Amino acid sequence: MRKLAIGLAAFALPLAAAAEVENYVFDAVHTVPYWETDHLTFATFRGRFDRVTGKFSIDRAAKTASLEVVIQTASVSTGDNERGGRARTRDEHLRSPDFFNVAEFPTMTYSSTAVKFKGDDPDAVEGNLTLLGVTKPVALRIERWKCGPDPRFAGKRFLCAGNASGSFKRSEFGMKTFLPTGIGDEVKVWMSVYAWRQ
Amino acid sequence: MDDFLSHPAVQGGVAPFVVALVVALLLGPLRLGGLAALAGFLTAMYFVFGFQLTPLTATRKIMLLAIAAPVIGILADFAFKPTRFGAAILALAAAAAALWAFWPVLAQRPAAEAWVLGGSAALTLAFLVGFAQLYLAEDAVRAGAAALALGLGTGVAAILAATAAYGMLAIALAAGAGAFLLPQMIAGKKAFAGVTFTLTAMLVGGLIAAGAMILARLPWYSLLALALVPIGARLPVPRNAPVWLQAVLLSLFGFIIGAAACVSVWKFPDASLG
Repeated sequence: MRKLAIGLAAFALPLAAAAEVENYVFDAVHTVPYWETDHLTFATFRGRFDRVTGKFSIDRAAKTASLEVVIQTASVSTGDNERGGRARTRDEHLRSPDFFNVAEFPTMTYSSTAVKFKGDDPDAVEGNLTLLGVTKPVALRIERWKCGPDPRFAGKRFLCAGNASGSFKRSEFGMKTFLPTGIGDEVKVWMSVYAWRQ
Repeated sequence: MDDFLSHPAVQGGVAPFVVALVVALLLGPLRLGGLAALAGFLTAMYFVFGFQLTPLTATRKIMLLAIAAPVIGILADFAFKPTRFGAAILALAAAAAALWAFWPVLAQRPAAEAWVLGGSAALTLAFLVGFAQLYLAEDAVRAGAAALALGLGTGVAAILAATAAYGMLAIALAAGAGAFLLPQMIAGKKAFAGVTFTLTAMLVGGLIAAGAMILARLPWYSLLALALVPIGARLPVPRNAPVWLQAVLLSLFGFIIGAAACVSVWKFPDASLG
């Protein structure tokens, strides 16, 4: 009986190691969600969020993963934050109830529901975006992905980084100001993600 | 047609005015012409935010309160005589409505800020509604001029305070008030305002202004300045002046106070807590 138990344990140990889940936390300085949308039907306009936190976990053997992102909506930035004699800036306008309504909804979140793999790497994320108190499914495509020792820390930290993109219609979240010709409905998102293994 | 209807000037001005004018003309003979204020506001609300109620944001609470106001107003006008006690009750209810609408936002602020913002909002709503019931409700031209000036002043102030959407809602309220005034000016005869019009116009105008303060960048002192706008419509005008001239003069008095509030947003914006 004892031999059987030892044998089972010896068999199970490598499996347990292979199924180990790795947990990662975002490098907030390098993780930046950018967005772009049509402006006045003339040109595409871009902005970003400066404060984002998040984490993901990945089980390479089981090919499963999960992702959580929290964006501080007040950190929306288009580079126009100096009034310079004007009554308000564009960034202040974006924070108002016309768009991100940051006083009422200080955060927007993204939570994965499923992650698809291509080979050993994650390839696409299905999840829910919560914006202005409304939750809708939004898919992200992972355009680029690499994991390895972080050269900035002489390899002492293990880094996973890449780029992801997706899109959604802002009207579905109740953000309807200046639709359809003033500011476009479709918002494209492109994100650089850097995260360290814990 | 879509391009026409998506223009901000149409959504916040032209369409609300047309709808409100139809309401004023159709319901005026029934002493319900005051519903023009609600019609103007709801038209812009439909274009700018839609009629969804979930999640129940501050903006959607303003819409619910706007719809509730004329219900209370009609009940008050047709079932009760106007009294000082009634005006005080409505003023207190308006202050409570402001706190209900914005409490979830205020609760996220530091206590000192929440007190200033919540106190300014409650005070403004109480004054606007109480003053209008006591001094404007019996005179449809004064009430209409006060609502016109409050809507326009709040609209411009809100745009300066970084919320064009709230600006459009307030200008739509002004358009509704204008539609309420126009038949009186043309006919040379005063209509009936009562609680139906004054409560709706002052409550909605005050809540939009308070929203521009709490959710955007309107300074608290600009909100208090906007609260003084209806006083302009209470100033004396020649008693025998034609109705159109009274409407123009009283609106002008209100515009001057509203303009002062707008200047305070423009020139002294940095102390805003929004």
